[in-house]
Amino acid sequence: MSRSDQEGPPRYLKDREEYFSDEQRKRTTVESRKMEKRVRENLRAQKDRPAVMKYFDDIHTYGGIRVKELKEFRKTGGKVVGTLCVMVPFELINAAGARGVRVSSGYYEPVHPANELLGDAGLCPMVKSTIGAKMVHSDPLAEEIDLLVCPATCDGKLKLAEIYEDWAPVMMMNIPRVKTGDTTSRLWMGEIKFLKQKLEELTGRKIKRKALLNEIGKWNDAQAAWGRLLEYRKSKTPPISGQDMMLIAQASQKDEITRWTKKVKDLEKELKVMVRKGLHAGETGAARIMLAGSPMIYPNFKIPSLVEESGGLIVSDELCSGHRIMSDPVMLDERSMSEMLMALAERYFFPCTCPCFSPNDDRIRRMKESIHLFGVEGVVFHTLRGCHLNNLEATKIEMKLREAEIPMIKLESEYDDGDVEQVRTRIEAFVEMIKTRRAFSVKKEGSS
Amino acid sequence: MDRFKGSIIRPWRLLFQFLGVAFLLGQSFGLPPFGTSPMLRTLFLPNASCRYVDTAPTSCFYYQFQDGMTSGASTYYVDVIVVLLIIVLMVLVLGRIWCSWLCPFGLVQEGLAYLRENLNIRPYRLKWAHRELLRPVKYVILFLTVLLSLPIGLSGLGLLGCQSTLALPFCQVCPAKGFFTVSEQLLGLEPWGTALPLLAIVSLLLFLVSSFFVKMAFCRICPMGAFMALFSRFSLMWLEKDVDKCTKCRICLRVCPVDHDRVYEDMESVDVAGSDCTLCGRCVEMCPEEGCLSLSFGPKRLASSKKPGRLGFLGMFHRKEGK
Repeated sequence: MSRSDQEGPPRYLKDREEYFSDEQRKRTTVESRKMEKRVRENLRAQKDRPAVMKYFDDIHTYGGIRVKELKEFRKTGGKVVGTLCVMVPFELINAAGARGVRVSSGYYEPVHPANELLGDAGLCPMVKSTIGAKMVHSDPLAEEIDLLVCPATCDGKLKLAEIYEDWAPVMMMNIPRVKTGDTTSRLWMGEIKFLKQKLEELTGRKIKRKALLNEIGKWNDAQAAWGRLLEYRKSKTPPISGQDMMLIAQASQKDEITRWTKKVKDLEKELKVMVRKGLHAGETGAARIMLAGSPMIYPNFKIPSLVEESGGLIVSDELCSGHRIMSDPVMLDERSMSEMLMALAERYFFPCTCPCFSPNDDRIRRMKESIHLFGVEGVVFHTLRGCHLNNLEATKIEMKLREAEIPMIKLESEYDDGDVEQVRTRIEAFVEMIKTRRAFSVKKEGSS
Repeated sequence: MDRFKGSIIRPWRLLFQFLGVAFLLGQSFGLPPFGTSPMLRTLFLPNASCRYVDTAPTSCFYYQFQDGMTSGASTYYVDVIVVLLIIVLMVLVLGRIWCSWLCPFGLVQEGLAYLRENLNIRPYRLKWAHRELLRPVKYVILFLTVLLSLPIGLSGLGLLGCQSTLALPFCQVCPAKGFFTVSEQLLGLEPWGTALPLLAIVSLLLFLVSSFFVKMAFCRICPMGAFMALFSRFSLMWLEKDVDKCTKCRICLRVCPVDHDRVYEDMESVDVAGSDCTLCGRCVEMCPEEGCLSLSFGPKRLASSKKPGRLGFLGMFHRKEGK
């Protein structure tokens, strides 16, 4: 498995490739596979789950069909580009003839090799898991990438990308973290142009205007389909669970987008039938929850599954691993290359409410709007341990939500099953509180 | 399924703009029923006619405004005040709708932009600092026009003799003068060799070149627009923004032909038209958030932004691409 023939200077770990024993490599792989299977079965056990969802399960399956397809694709000379962030324009990757996959890892086990070698126990577990999986080659999807595009959003990602260079070529993108309009737009536009150039170098073909236009169209189609799915979540008894919605959103960053759109449309038809039959996800009278905070990459569905098992139903989220993947379309004013790139650049940058930006008042505004649209009764704010940006924003958001009389619970989690029961107790109490509140407000309305 | 949201407003606007040009040409060349109708002859719309066409029965209000000031204080009331009051009244009701829905300058500039787009040349986008520098220029031109015209008309200053030499300062650099004098000679309406106004021709060329590369370049310095801008914030036509629905995606600013950044920046007001918005509705039709931006008349929303994928009935005019 040694990749010592890889070009580029050795930085941190390249010469220590053999650091891990075969036994540890094997254990990480086996544990990852087991974990994915467990989570998948847990998802399948949901009541009244649409049949089309099986397709999205398959896309995410460990070493499943998508990995095989990408392998085939690479054999025919195709290039696969890994990303670590929602701010990388997939349209551009596809227009270059490459395929994009998000390789952020949700597996728990690879955290340990990364912990051993990096020696930063306080680092974000998602970063550790992603780099750990690459170190011991335990994630088949991440093994298929020819280039990793990593916007340097936070400290963890910044160093992750740097270390990753020992295993795969990396292109880092400078994120202008202070959002001030014109200057920022120009800086980010420069990064997008650089990405275009890098992609062209990788695939050896120019990104054509028509091709880019075509891809933007496909992704806008996908967004429209996603938008129609969201309408179902607004109903009093949503026919689809929040976990499934997150699964679908994340599938778009692994799958062929046209096929994904088709499947989403199929799902929409199925949901229509389900609504007519009166079937719905979650228990009757479930507390309507919004998920916010740090990303939850499949199979790290600990928090959402706990919420939905404890009598809650996730009706909305503002995660970069959920709704935010699909929340903003590219609107073209003119169709020259540079104008399209600008439209693309601004779509991926300005509406993004990643906590790495300042000022980030848009986040709370968008959350409030979603709370209003989806009838959210409580917010579960999840932060990964070591995610300072989300941790610091959580307090601010909690204060603002308190003004709007929306309860919020903040949960800090590791990539670890150890805290499940503890978190469950807290979530159950939170859900119970929401239901009590509901009864109280009904009484109040009745008496007045 | 349409992949790009279509234009719900632009086709309407185009229709009105062509009518505007037809009206201008009809007025200018005295075609019936425009030029000969006694009622229309006394109508000084912002620029529905150009005095530099011999057959023109009337003129644009800016000509009348300058001329009125120059020709003496005794006739101010009729020649200046009434003309301006009509325009102010129009602005109070319709805002700067003239600018983007009827003004012939606007149509020519949009035509040039359309040509540029189809030649696959990107627009030159002004930097923020340059936009800020340019913003007061139109008011300066308006002020200079008054400064140059007003003293001539005041008999006490004894400048009446300059009436023939210094009159109508803006018209000397107006691209329309250049356009009409040249085209009259080309069409044979004027004999060849009549003296051509060089200054106006230079500004015509500047106008054509600059608005080819910069969207709505002339609108940014137009003194007629400046005059209307003085009152447009009080108008019944306005641009409504539902701040809660805004995602700050910056589409409204990117598509705005005059780079009116208030629509994007302002997160407090409901009315974001301000004085620079020409109410073309481009941001309204491009905004992807349902009901975030609206073109409104009084309390009534005439057109609102819609989610992409859902088209108004005028979506059929929209160019389909990408398949």
